[in-house]
Amino acid sequence: MLTLGEYIRLYFLIETQYIKGQMQYRADFLISSIGMFFSSLATLSIFVVLFNSIPSLAGWSLMEMVFIYAFYMIAISPMQILFDAVWFLRMKVQSGEFVKYYFRPMNIMFYFMSERFDIKGLTQLAAGIVLLVYASIQLDLVWSVGKILILFLAVFSASLVLISIAVMAGSSAFWVVNSYPVLALAWKVREFAPYPITIFDGVFRFAFTFILPIGFIAFYPAQFFLRPAEISPLFYVTPFIGLGLFALTYKIWELGVNSWTGTGS
Amino acid sequence: MRGYLAFMRGAMLVGVVYRLGFLFTILGNIVYMIIAYFLWRSIYAGKETLNGLTFDQALLYIALGSTIFILLKTYTDWGMAEEIRSGTISVYLTKPIDYQLYNLFGTIGFASTTILTVTLPTVIMLLFVFRIHFALGWGYLFFPVSLILAFIINFNLDYAVGLSAFYTESIWGISTTKEIIVSVLSGALLPLQFFPAAVQQVLMVLPFQAMFFTPLMMVTKPDQQAGVFLQMLVVQALWAAVTYAASRLFYNQAIKVLRVAGG
Amino acid sequence: MTLIHIKDLTKHFRILNRHEGLKGAVRDLFSGDYRTVKAVDGISFDIEPGEIVGYIGPNGAGKSTTIKMMTGILKPSAGVLQVNGLVPYDNRMRQAMIMGVVFGQRTQLWWDLPVIESFKILKEIYKVDQKMFDEHLGMFNELVGLKALYTQQARTLSLGQRMLCDIAASFLHNPQVVFLDEPTIGLDVSVKAKIRGLILELNGTRNTTIILTTHDLGDVEALCRRIIIIDKGKILYDGDIKKVNALFGAYRTLKLQIKDYAEATRTALQNGLAGKFGAEHGITIAQTEDCWTDVTIDQARTPLADVLAFVMTNFPVEDVRIVEISMENVVRKVYDGALQ
Repeated sequence: MLTLGEYIRLYFLIETQYIKGQMQYRADFLISSIGMFFSSLATLSIFVVLFNSIPSLAGWSLMEMVFIYAFYMIAISPMQILFDAVWFLRMKVQSGEFVKYYFRPMNIMFYFMSERFDIKGLTQLAAGIVLLVYASIQLDLVWSVGKILILFLAVFSASLVLISIAVMAGSSAFWVVNSYPVLALAWKVREFAPYPITIFDGVFRFAFTFILPIGFIAFYPAQFFLRPAEISPLFYVTPFIGLGLFALTYKIWELGVNSWTGTGS
Repeated sequence: MRGYLAFMRGAMLVGVVYRLGFLFTILGNIVYMIIAYFLWRSIYAGKETLNGLTFDQALLYIALGSTIFILLKTYTDWGMAEEIRSGTISVYLTKPIDYQLYNLFGTIGFASTTILTVTLPTVIMLLFVFRIHFALGWGYLFFPVSLILAFIINFNLDYAVGLSAFYTESIWGISTTKEIIVSVLSGALLPLQFFPAAVQQVLMVLPFQAMFFTPLMMVTKPDQQAGVFLQMLVVQALWAAVTYAASRLFYNQAIKVLRVAGG
Repeated sequence: MTLIHIKDLTKHFRILNRHEGLKGAVRDLFSGDYRTVKAVDGISFDIEPGEIVGYIGPNGAGKSTTIKMMTGILKPSAGVLQVNGLVPYDNRMRQAMIMGVVFGQRTQLWWDLPVIESFKILKEIYKVDQKMFDEHLGMFNELVGLKALYTQQARTLSLGQRMLCDIAASFLHNPQVVFLDEPTIGLDVSVKAKIRGLILELNGTRNTTIILTTHDLGDVEALCRRIIIIDKGKILYDGDIKKVNALFGAYRTLKLQIKDYAEATRTALQNGLAGKFGAEHGITIAQTEDCWTDVTIDQARTPLADVLAFVMTNFPVEDVRIVEISMENVVRKVYDGALQ
């Protein structure tokens, strides 16, 4: 059985080799990065066009929306890059190929997810960082070492939320034949993370905060930096939501792994 | 002809087997519409009209937009990419069937199932749960034809994306780029009236608006002169023809690659 | 100590009864109609360290279900199953440390990585010390010249090369037991020989227990000292291969395509053979789905050449093939009490 340190070393070993192998496909990397670039900025461009017709959205200015959007892009990157394998779960479960993950003395989720490292996701991460810096400058935000540390913590927690939602949805592949729509649905839901939760009424605000906590992917964490005076206590809950959700997701994954019978012999 | 119908029936059968798939597509659309509702409510906060559209009209447009987007969504590009990658495409190329037609009928079959299982329930929900107001007018008469034409244009585009699989393995990048460009420039995500005037003019001469903006406007503002709608249909038909011709040409080029590489 | 101990092992599955056609598919959407299938129905056997055991049976016999239980993927419905003193399903990781698994069809190497990198990763996972790692790599190279493949990516290897690498990989951490599933499927004769040699050598030097599931009787004959035959979830035979070997070796199936074959032809064939070779000829005739007539001959009683000559002379034979006895026929014969 492996310790955490050994897992990290192993991950490094596997991914450096994987990236080496992927670098052979230069054309694919380029085209995929372009696709990634477009897909990241589509919603942003809609925002920019919208703000042509309205001065503010529920009290938020364009630059503030850009900041939230940049935070969102950074927060969804870990899911994009590290857990990309989840999109192939259904295929491997249906074909029976998934059996091989049971045979090695290591955590099955680790084994499965480490097989893919989505390099093109780094494009989105880079774009997000650049956008965040740009928006900060435009908004005259002040950054201290402490604030930057909090930023890291906030991004970490926020990323866990999306990772949890996606992996939980993807795990339905263990029980349902056509699990793709479940995962696609979960993935689609993330598209609304960069919107201010304040536009929603009570019931939905509750739902998007506590039931399907997309508010924690970008909006609540971003508020801390944009409007510290109006900070909602929910910001401080973010790490717990992230970790708690991931713990739940892991339990569901385990349930799936244990109940799958390996059809397809 | 019977052969093509068989493909259609096959696609329909596949659709029925995936029971949960449709439920989740409907749910996904509901989520989208809830968020769109609140978003647009905020956008219109206190205003009667924006860029020539009332709140009701904008809402109808957006809700119908996503519904049609789902209906028109073909998986042709992915299906073809897989067939090319795995080599099973040679099965179809060596038979006396038209590859594009074969794909078209498969897509029609899939779309037929989607109409029954997703589109119809969604429209019912729009009418009775979300209480979206549908105004009346000539537009409704032209809408079905418009939708079919939009479907054909979309199919031709997806087919072309699928053909690119002859040249590269990175279908994801091309397909995603195409989908983004279409959803933004076709007015599927945002009514074209919201774009700056200069940009609007450019967009109106591109094929994308014929895929979503045209049919959507027929239902959003159905009370215009029949002549106006007829004109829109003609433009659509033109684009359907152009995209068809382009895809045919592309096919002839792409197939050469296969002969060279595969032997 | 017994390595694998199995007693009254049972596994049930619940399967949805599906219906045909468009209407049926719609009906299935709301169905709650299941049936229970007994994949494995009360089997028992013990396996000692160092044994090479062939676990064979027709498709759907319960082979893969048993293997899945032994490797800890599937939980038994009832009965006792212990590997190295532990219950596999409850001790997946500990079991994985002492076990190796190879599939004929699917590789367990990292697809895009050079083979040696896969080995290095396995070294980290199984905590193989450098000495043993080098020793094993040396051994693999000595036995089958594996070094030549080390820098190649797994996906560029031919099926035979990949198989050799997969088998080597499964022995890398010196496991106590290795499960081989169809290790020579789809391979040509020379590669098969190489693979069988590798397996025997590794079993000999490391005393690794090997459980082999295969449809290839050549594999069984070359490697196994003991075989267990399973059919319809029950064990038909568990014992020395020599007995069953006699059964395999002597039998050949003559596959014929007879022009205008009809029921009358079959009768004529039966009567003709009885007339020519006597009542105790031990020949069985079966018609296969793809219009071949299978004439299965016990060479100990009637020489193949004589039967072939007889049939060719007296019947309008359009095509002929000679094959070893199939797994299905072996099982059928065991069922009919051929081993008693």
